[in-house]
Amino acid sequence: MAKDSDLPSSAPFAEIDTTVPVSARIWNYWLGGKDYYPVDKEAGDQFARFYPGIFDGARASRYFIARAVSYLVREAGIRQFLDIGTGLPTHDNTHQIAQRAAPDCRIVYADNDPLVLAHARALLTSSTEGSTDYIDADLNDPDALLPIAREKLDFGRPVAIMLMGILGHIGDPAQDDDRVAQSIVGTLKAALPSGGYLAIYDSANTGSGLNAALHSYNESGAAPYRVRRVDQIVRFFDGLELVEPGVVPIQQWRPDHSPFGTPQQMSNNLGGVARKP
Amino acid sequence: MDLPEVQAAQTDRTLDFEEAGPTAVRMLLGARLRRLRESARISQEDAGYAIRGSESKISRMELGRTGFKQRDVVDLVELYGVSEDERATLLAMAGHANSPGWWQAYSEAIPAWFEPYLGLEQAAEVIRTYQVQFVPGLLQTPAYAHAVLRIGAEDRSGLITNLRASLRMRRQQILHRPNPPRLWAVIDEAALRRPIGGPDVARGQLAHLIKMARLSNVNIQVAPFSSGSQAIAGGPITMLRFPEAELTDVVYLEQLTSALYLSKPAERLYYWNVLNRLATEAPPPTETEATLRGLLREI
Repeated sequence: MAKDSDLPSSAPFAEIDTTVPVSARIWNYWLGGKDYYPVDKEAGDQFARFYPGIFDGARASRYFIARAVSYLVREAGIRQFLDIGTGLPTHDNTHQIAQRAAPDCRIVYADNDPLVLAHARALLTSSTEGSTDYIDADLNDPDALLPIAREKLDFGRPVAIMLMGILGHIGDPAQDDDRVAQSIVGTLKAALPSGGYLAIYDSANTGSGLNAALHSYNESGAAPYRVRRVDQIVRFFDGLELVEPGVVPIQQWRPDHSPFGTPQQMSNNLGGVARKP
Repeated sequence: MDLPEVQAAQTDRTLDFEEAGPTAVRMLLGARLRRLRESARISQEDAGYAIRGSESKISRMELGRTGFKQRDVVDLVELYGVSEDERATLLAMAGHANSPGWWQAYSEAIPAWFEPYLGLEQAAEVIRTYQVQFVPGLLQTPAYAHAVLRIGAEDRSGLITNLRASLRMRRQQILHRPNPPRLWAVIDEAALRRPIGGPDVARGQLAHLIKMARLSNVNIQVAPFSSGSQAIAGGPITMLRFPEAELTDVVYLEQLTSALYLSKPAERLYYWNVLNRLATEAPPPTETEATLRGLLREI
């Protein structure tokens, strides 16, 4: 083997912490996966005691991602994606959905959890003429994240930036009129080329069960997750043109035609997709 | 994207009974029967009584540790009240659970403790492995496999060694089939530096690893000497993940004359965590080709 000093960028990874719950692993548990530690299951179950809808809600959010990505490829013609806050691999990941619709799609996943990165690099690979790539980056520092993303995606052509269920980890919307998150999203919007898209879903404070569940969650040692007011979520899209039907509960966003209709019980998650003019 | 496509993508990955062999089908059938029994709120004892057996017979069936009599499965699905469609699937599975796998042709060369692994490996969706001494079997060249298998082989004629080497090559076909499993291997630097079979064989093996690492379903990481987690691994580890939600991962620990199959939650967790540490501490797969080329130059 080459001497360590010869190896490019083999900076040591952060260690896996098995003593506190981690969002990506809790989500894996809620989604029926097999990649979580006991501490994650405990936090996930504790959350579900206050908010039993989380298991269905987690699935609904995956279906929203699938419909949003499919829309972006098939109807908006997008071929490049920056998916920030990837999470652990699940059954239908962004690149699989996108490349099924158009095999030449390029997907860059960004995450900063060591377990997510190791799994993504090993398991989220594409076998088509498109490509997938992974960057170790933190949404809290978009000025560091964007230059790495620019090396892998052509920002001279349309790109879709996806922030799916991650903004709850950013800033504290109750403390500072949401300046931190709005500024980060602003930086990303500024980087989007004309004709690029921003896709977001996140949790709104529209149910007391969710607030109680989050209170216990945020005490668990996991990275805190905070809900926003509906208008704060809508504001993320300021300056962009929302595609129909706007920012809505995710189940109502371009639902698939189903003989059973759209589910009546709506989650607290609001989602939307918008184009930069 | 619409919902039915999501479901289609998932069913793609379900077991191919013909390839999977009896072991995996037993586990799957057992897991389904347990789920059906639990949702019908019937105890193992009562289920055992219904098939003229004991609580422990049901327990063994549900863990996939035994074959299935058609008559027992017929009686159990009757007791659990399953739908006509599911009944037909379960009975077909019971048939497959008793039929031998393709590797029957190699039976002379297969130790009893290795046979279950073959069935599980063929059925896996993800094969994670950590190897300290040798290149993983699924990534070996014929020459390297022969050289490894000759070490400590007792058959003078070499017949068994040849049979084992060709079985190993046959196993590798899973990586090239449509919808192949993903192989995620962490190989200790020591295994790659050990000159098995002499310089030509070692060079051929390294070149083969470079080629295999380019497959989209093969992910290789080389753990350098400097990595700290080797010590907690203790030895080679393989962990198999199956596409079915109801099947838990199986940890396979191979020793010189036997193997351990671990599926208890605490044991799985321990080795899953070890594999995670090894994978996060080793340089990412994007650096593997450069590392292998460096080793190739040194031989």
